[in-house]
Amino acid sequence: MAFVQCSGLRKTYTVGDEEVRALDNVSITVEKGDFIAICGPSGSGKSTLANVIGGLDQPDEGSVLVDGVDLAKARDKELSEYRNSRIGFVFQSFNLQAHETALENVISPLVIGGVGKKKERRERGMKALERVGLSDRAGHKPTQLSGGQRQRVAIARALVNDPQMIIADEPTGNLDSSRGADVIAELRRLNSEGITLIIITHDPNVAAQAKRVVEIKDGKITERTGAR
Amino acid sequence: MRFSDQFRTGWRNLSRQKLRTTLTIFAIVIGAVSVTVMLSLVTSAKSFLVSSAQKTGMDKRVIVTGSTGLDYRESTWNWPDGSGKRIDKDTLEAVTKLPHVASATLYSQVQMIRSFVLESTNQELEFKNLSFEAYTPNGTIKHLLVAGEELSEKTNGTGILVTTGVANDLGFKGRESELVGQKLVLKFRTDMGPPDARKADETAVITGVVMGENGDGLSVDLEWAVRMNTMEWTQKGPNGQTETMKESQIDRYGYSSVWVSLDDKKNADALMAEVAKLGYGAAAGQEEIDTQATVFTIIGAVLGGIGGIALLVAAIGVINTMVMATLERTREIGIMRAIGATKRTVRRLFRVEAGVLGFMGGLFGVAISFGVAIGLNQLLNKQLEDSGITDRDIVSISPVIALVVLLITTLIGMLAGSLPARRAANMDPVEALRYE
Repeated sequence: MAFVQCSGLRKTYTVGDEEVRALDNVSITVEKGDFIAICGPSGSGKSTLANVIGGLDQPDEGSVLVDGVDLAKARDKELSEYRNSRIGFVFQSFNLQAHETALENVISPLVIGGVGKKKERRERGMKALERVGLSDRAGHKPTQLSGGQRQRVAIARALVNDPQMIIADEPTGNLDSSRGADVIAELRRLNSEGITLIIITHDPNVAAQAKRVVEIKDGKITERTGAR
Repeated sequence: MRFSDQFRTGWRNLSRQKLRTTLTIFAIVIGAVSVTVMLSLVTSAKSFLVSSAQKTGMDKRVIVTGSTGLDYRESTWNWPDGSGKRIDKDTLEAVTKLPHVASATLYSQVQMIRSFVLESTNQELEFKNLSFEAYTPNGTIKHLLVAGEELSEKTNGTGILVTTGVANDLGFKGRESELVGQKLVLKFRTDMGPPDARKADETAVITGVVMGENGDGLSVDLEWAVRMNTMEWTQKGPNGQTETMKESQIDRYGYSSVWVSLDDKKNADALMAEVAKLGYGAAAGQEEIDTQATVFTIIGAVLGGIGGIALLVAAIGVINTMVMATLERTREIGIMRAIGATKRTVRRLFRVEAGVLGFMGGLFGVAISFGVAIGLNQLLNKQLEDSGITDRDIVSISPVIALVVLLITTLIGMLAGSLPARRAANMDPVEALRYE
């Protein structure tokens, strides 16, 4: 059975007087260990799809089955646990807490999940930072780090709970091409270690590295291409 | 999320906005100090009242009067005018035999006094708005002594007690002990009997200076008072001879009352019922203490209410602070939600934060209140010393009040934080993450 199985997803937003169909009868499956790029122009609904798969948003219609549990009908507690322990988010604008150090940011999912004691959290946080090559920046605040380093801290945060899947929404959007490439390389490496990866991007170079590319436009999946 | 982590996170968030946090806490401190100090003042005054009453035996006292239906205060001032049942030695004997009576004395007022002169200074004071009580000094009636001693058998016929108010009028405020042993000349009225009725001056020696329980005045031995209340005059007899007539006011109207000291204050009702069977009226000192205590309770409620308003205003400050915090931290809330915080976690985080504000305000407030109590006691101790009262440090903040205030401020903080907390928890995480 697929790791994530979405079928018939519909989601409508009201912006002013206008109704925007962010998802219009979208069905998609994600296998364990997959690397999917979801591409499409701005406002096409790709972020909404990522948020729905990530349990950050719920569809108006349709189902999102993860190991037999329908996220579309799940309660806040289940969704939160899912976000906390089974997946990791990486955002375009990093979304690190500015007042916390890199290590504190990385261990925040452990704190929120009530996982482990101080020492264990620290060890796991340092291990995650090591995986992204930033263990020497553990005590730095985000403002003391470069854009690429910040994104790697965000990846470390996504990793700290040993997730099954990472959802990265335009992870290279705020980075120059060389740092962007580093970040993608990092994510690919994690994928090769078995973590399912969904990247939202409108960068064809990034999409080209995915095993599968899903094109989305006006809330509808228009095209799927196979493995690279 | 564990509570310890919530607390730590809340504390950290509060430290990020030091000025705002300090000002919010300051408002709570004002409320906490008002409530703590006002409640403590009232409870201290109440316990001072009760302990003073215990020292004078007022709590164990029952006053038996010839008229029924008088309350305690009216009983202390009761004046025999022939309308009620007569109080005399037979009454005392009958009352003394009743159960629960530890001791008893007849009690009367000396009515014929006009003025009194302190011999050493030759200062004369009109006898106005003063009481002149007389009783048998057998321990039934006790005073709060400021200087000297109570009346006793050996002072009969000479000894007199003056209250601090009288000492004050005589110019001995703060030097009450200097009055002890001094002579007081008592002068009597001539307008109460026949035109030539007269009463020679009496000289008394001040035995002690006391706090006046029923206003200010003088106290002497009852036996002596009976003699003082006796007028002498002459009149022509049937054979034209001159006769010397004597009449005691007490002989004519009887005594004012019988004052009883109970074996235990809880037996007041039982004794009063027995007294009623004899056809007399009775009132218990404990009733008066209770009445006064009730007044203090009401004052406490009013003052506490004023402090409560200050706390309410502080609570609005907490709401304001927390609403600001939710707005400023919208994106942070989004991040927390994205990495797995439930709505409940976010709600609790903000509520704990608001609770910390309340707790800190309460903690500082209670600490400052202890300081205020020390300051007030220093002021009051001087007053008490001047009034000759031996009690010191009467304002005390009970640990119960301190704890209750701490609990209330914490709860108020959490309650005030509930609304902003709910607002934060209900934010759409996707929207929150987009918030700039």
